[in-house]
Amino acid sequence: MILRRTCAATAALLTALLLQATVVAPLTMPIAVSLPVVMVMGLALVAGAPAGLSVGFAIGLIADLGSHHPVGIFALTWMQVAICCAKVGPMLRSMPSRVFLAAFGAALATAAATLLLTMTGSAGATLQDAIADFVPIFVGDLLLAAIVLPVVSRVEGSDSLRGGSASASHDAGVEAAQRRTRAEIAGLAGQWR
Amino acid sequence: MRRLTARQRLAAQLLTALAVLFLTLDMAGGSLAEAHNGTRGFLGALYRGTDSVLGPVRRFVIAVPEAWNNQDKVSKLKQENAQLRAAVDVRDVDAKVSGQLAKLQLRSDALGRKVVPARVVALGPGAGFDWTVSLNVGTHDGIKVDQTVVAGDGLVGRVLQASASSSVVLLAADPGSGVGVRDVRSSQLGVATGSGMAGYVLSPLDPNADLKVGDVLRTGPVGKSSYVGDLPVGVVVGVNNTAQGGTTATVRPAVSASGLDLVGVIIDSHTDSALALTPR
Repeated sequence: MILRRTCAATAALLTALLLQATVVAPLTMPIAVSLPVVMVMGLALVAGAPAGLSVGFAIGLIADLGSHHPVGIFALTWMQVAICCAKVGPMLRSMPSRVFLAAFGAALATAAATLLLTMTGSAGATLQDAIADFVPIFVGDLLLAAIVLPVVSRVEGSDSLRGGSASASHDAGVEAAQRRTRAEIAGLAGQWR
Repeated sequence: MRRLTARQRLAAQLLTALAVLFLTLDMAGGSLAEAHNGTRGFLGALYRGTDSVLGPVRRFVIAVPEAWNNQDKVSKLKQENAQLRAAVDVRDVDAKVSGQLAKLQLRSDALGRKVVPARVVALGPGAGFDWTVSLNVGTHDGIKVDQTVVAGDGLVGRVLQASASSSVVLLAADPGSGVGVRDVRSSQLGVATGSGMAGYVLSPLDPNADLKVGDVLRTGPVGKSSYVGDLPVGVVVGVNNTAQGGTTATVRPAVSASGLDLVGVIIDSHTDSALALTPR
């Protein structure tokens, strides 16, 4: 299961990077709407902190290496925001609220990365950009998340990747099942009373 | 709010430390430059492959908002292109004409005479001579018969006929034309007879004159020559001794008879002509 999940994550990661470079970035040229970030946030929301932080770090590192700025900026910011998303994730059950959170997290991660870029003195990044572009980036990420999140959620929850669901102890699915069981028990208890 | 387990927190801290380490390493020196380059190359190859598939889709999507304006844009650009092309052509011609005019002005300055610039509008045999050209200036512009015609580089010929607004020039290269010349080096006088494209044949007045290849010839006051003095005629390129004991020389013309475009007619200094370049 671990192997399959790793392969799926790698494939998704590369696909996201390629789509970002060839389709998303050219179409949203002046602002930095980012498909990989949205995917990382969605994964963190759906699959929890371990997946979020490992994939966030990996894809961020590759994005860093493929760019001209110092390595580690995307890896750091994407991973941290993914952890935050994973922490808040379980509180949100409905898909719209998750989409919203994923987009907000992605915009936040982009802004944080821009801030770090400004601090490291990379050319082209300014504090004004980080602030002024936040809302447009958020709107763009919202559109992307509305497409990406259902896909991530569906794939992550599929049987071939989940298997016996024994690999991750705190998966959202497990927790949902536990909660359902608890609700049923409560319901039964209510009937008995 | 879910808290991380101890292992997850440890992993997060380790990865954070790793990221900060990378950051400092990359900023401090270029120790990660190779990794940068390698990844960029790898991703670049992947991007190219993906773009060959997705590029058309992307271009289509980008073009959708402007799908209906493009016809206008294309026709507008075509029109603009034609205008610019014409401007470029005119500019080239302008530059050439301006160069020729500048040379004529210099000639006028050197001679201290007024020069009327004129354009060659026709070339060919006429008026009983083989080598004539027609100019677009005439008596209205102060042109009179027998005035000397020059180009920037030297002698062209003399005015044969002048009508109100055009004139015919006999080129010095015509076989029936003789120009009195002086060898600048040896001061020998002679007559340069035209021989068409070959230039001139120089017959010195003194049969034993000292002629050398490379001698420069300028118009000189010989006999009843109507040419203005001291204009470049050509350069001696060959000296021949005839069987009769005389000497002739082949002369390469200073101005090619076949490539005339803008020429100048040297007019009398007291003639008023709106077109004339006056010596400075």
